[in-house]
Formats: sequence, C-alpha cells, structure tokens
Amino acid sequence: MIEITLEVNGETRRLSVESRRLLADVLRQEFNLSGVHIGCAQGACGCCTVHLDGKPRLSCLTFAAQCDGMSVRTVESVGGVDADHPLQKAFRSEHGLQCGYCTPGFIMTLIPFVEEMTAEGRMPDDEEIREAMSGNICRCTGYQGIVEAVRKAIGENLKEGAQA
Amino acid sequence: MRPSEFEYHKAESLEQALALLQEFGDEGRPIAGGQSLVPMMNLRLARPAHLVDINGLGLDAIEEGGGVIRIGALVRHETYLAEPLIIDNFPAFIDGVHAIGHPTIRRNGTIGGSLAHSDPTAELPLLCMLHDGEIIVASAGGERRILATQFFEGAYMTVLEPGEMIVAVELPVPPASSSGAFVEMAERRGDFAIAACGVTLEHAGGRVTRAAVACSGAGQTAMRAPQLEEALEGLELECPDAATAIAAFTDTLNPPDDHSASADYRRALIGQLVERALSVACSRAMEAS
Repeated sequence: MIEITLEVNGETRRLSVESRRLLADVLRQEFNLSGVHIGCAQGACGCCTVHLDGKPRLSCLTFAAQCDGMSVRTVESVGGVDADHPLQKAFRSEHGLQCGYCTPGFIMTLIPFVEEMTAEGRMPDDEEIREAMSGNICRCTGYQGIVEAVRKAIGENLKEGAQA
Repeated sequence: MRPSEFEYHKAESLEQALALLQEFGDEGRPIAGGQSLVPMMNLRLARPAHLVDINGLGLDAIEEGGGVIRIGALVRHETYLAEPLIIDNFPAFIDGVHAIGHPTIRRNGTIGGSLAHSDPTAELPLLCMLHDGEIIVASAGGERRILATQFFEGAYMTVLEPGEMIVAVELPVPPASSSGAFVEMAERRGDFAIAACGVTLEHAGGRVTRAAVACSGAGQTAMRAPQLEEALEGLELECPDAATAIAAFTDTLNPPDDHSASADYRRALIGQLVERALSVACSRAMEAS
C-alpha cells in the first residue's frame, strides 16, 4: 500500500492505495465521483478524462500512486448539479448527448479547448474541433451535435468578450 | 480489466532508476507517460512486478549540438509541434506527430515509451528509422548507442536488455536543401495505422540527390527501402514519376493478410502512401527553393 495525498475538486485527502489501483477507480470508489466513467480502460474512448494539475488526462491510464500531491478536477467540479457551464448548456441545446455515458469525458476534454479558442478570440473550423475531440468516442450522436455545441459555447464566449 | 499486482517505485535520480531496474531485471519496467504500458497492463498483456516511475528525472530537453538534435526520452509528443528545432529540420517528423493517438495521449506519451513499446505501426519508430536516428540506452553498467534501424526486433520486441532504459534519441541535422513528408492510413483518426510511409529528400538543381524511405504495415516493424531510395536519386522534383521504382519495391513486400486488410490491399496501400509522401516532399522542396 502507498500513502498519497490527493486534492480532488477542492477537497484534500490522505489515503492509502494499492499500487495497481487506477486513478479512475479511486475517484469513483474513494471519492464517490461517479461522473468519472470507465469505457475501454485502454486509452481509446476518452470517457475517463479528468484534469490532472489542470490538464486533461486519461484516469484509466494513470495509477493513483503516481498522483501524490497533485490536483484533480472531475466533471462534478463543472457547472454544479444543474450542469450550467456554457459548454454543458450547449451540449443540451445542440443534441450533443443522448445516453450521456461519454459526456463527462467530452466535457473535460473540450473545456480547455473552448477556453483556448476564447483566449485566442477565434472560432475554429469544424476540422479543428473534430481533431480536438478525436480522443473521445460517442456512439449516440454521430458527433455533429457535439461539434455544434462546441461552436455554440465558443461563439457565446466570444460574444460576451466583445460586449465586456 | 485491471492490472495485476506490482510494486511502485518513484525514482528521484537517473542513477537510482538504473539501480532499481538492474535490481529487478526482467521483472521491472520504467513508466513515464504510461500511454502504451498501462493499456498493456490493464489487458494483462504486460505484468511487471515492479514499476519504476521516471517522470521526475528531467530527460525532456531537445538540444542541437555536434551535428545532431538530441531528444530526451521523456519529451512528450505534443512538444514537437511548438519546437523550432524539429519544425525547421524535420517536416516528415512533424507530419507524423500529428498522427500519434489523440491530443490527450500526445500530451502525456513520451518518445522513450513509444520506442520501447515497439508497436508495429507506431509513428515514432518509423520516424526515427527514417531520420537515421540513434537510440541511446543506459543501464547501471553504462551507456550504449543503437541505430534505430537495428533497435526493433518485432511487434513489442526490441533489443533492450533487462535493466536498460532509453535516455535519448539523436537525429542527424539534415542539410539545408532537404525536405520530407509522412502520410498514414488508419480506419479512424488517431487509431493504430494500417500502414504509413515517410520520405525525406536532399536536393540540388531541381533534382533529388539523396532519398530515404521508411514504411510500416508490411511486417512486424517499420522498415527502410534501400533499393527504392537509390532509385529515387536523380528524380525531378517538378514531376516525380517513380511509379516503376515504387512497384518494384512493393512487389518485394510480404505484408500480413488478416481481418483488417488483405495482403494485396496492404501492398497497394503502401505503394500509394509512398507516392503521396514523395509528392508532398517534392512540392515542399520546390516551395523552399
């Protein structure tokens, strides 16, 4: 067993984990964060994406023991229980989800992308959006709704920026 | 699935990492980005008893000196896309990096990890072979250098001995009048490639003076194509018609025949990919000169 300290969505905890435990399982079982979904457990589907020290990381390809002293953000830290982050709202209005299994992964992968585009003050073309989300698999939407949700979220951020 | 049991060790220095790897022998594996090793462990295709975490060791510099560009083993794939030493010297390499996995994988995966994993159609093994790379390997007993063309022995097999670890890769700096391109075909973007091809050219007076061609998809590792490379010397950059030489090369290939593609399809595909990479490399050479 290994002693680690994790800061997860603002809560810091010291815990003892077996070396082989995946970060995804620790987040789900020790922190009760069931928004961390596990799809393939081999890095192909992107469902388990969380932010590790601020950057997207596949929590199924990460051992919790490697994360000692690090900061983790899961989808639960985004938009609260109402899921009212602009990207989450856009996913709803643009049919960016149906069953919802892949959605937390998409949201965590795409939030930094939306922020980056907003900071650069530009609307990416569809090709660039598809590249940004290429590590996430969705079996319901056919992806077009997700592309549109990303465009809408960036568009609204840009509009707000222009007004401010 | 979940990995089998192992002991985790966080190395604080290269010396300590090498001492641990020597102690554990073939029961030990270094772990860096984990983008290839952890899937293998989750599937229980790999069951190391000890993991030595080398993420804290630095080894992530890209430096030029002595006619080579040295890439530390822990350089993450996305780093190249903003690195002038790579962008300016190795256009084929940059093409290839875009084809590695997905953004999240490129942020975490390392060159040392990809080379040590030796996936048959991975981009970095092919690119290191294409660019005449040398792989620098360390163990508690010292360092050795291995040409990339002699490093890969088969699918997921390399010449690395127990206790050894990749510390860097060196690519010779190409001359100013050079060019290159890389193309690959996969069923989905970022998925494992069915086949891929990289070409580099040196040129003068509108003609190719030296060519290198590497391709994957024809066997258990990527390969160079020495006869084709020779045949491409003297080729006009403006209308690079190399169909005969490419056909002579693909005729010698004996690619796998399986559920994802037939041998004939792969042979034809590799020919097409060589042609496309060559054509892009030639137009890039024309633009630059």
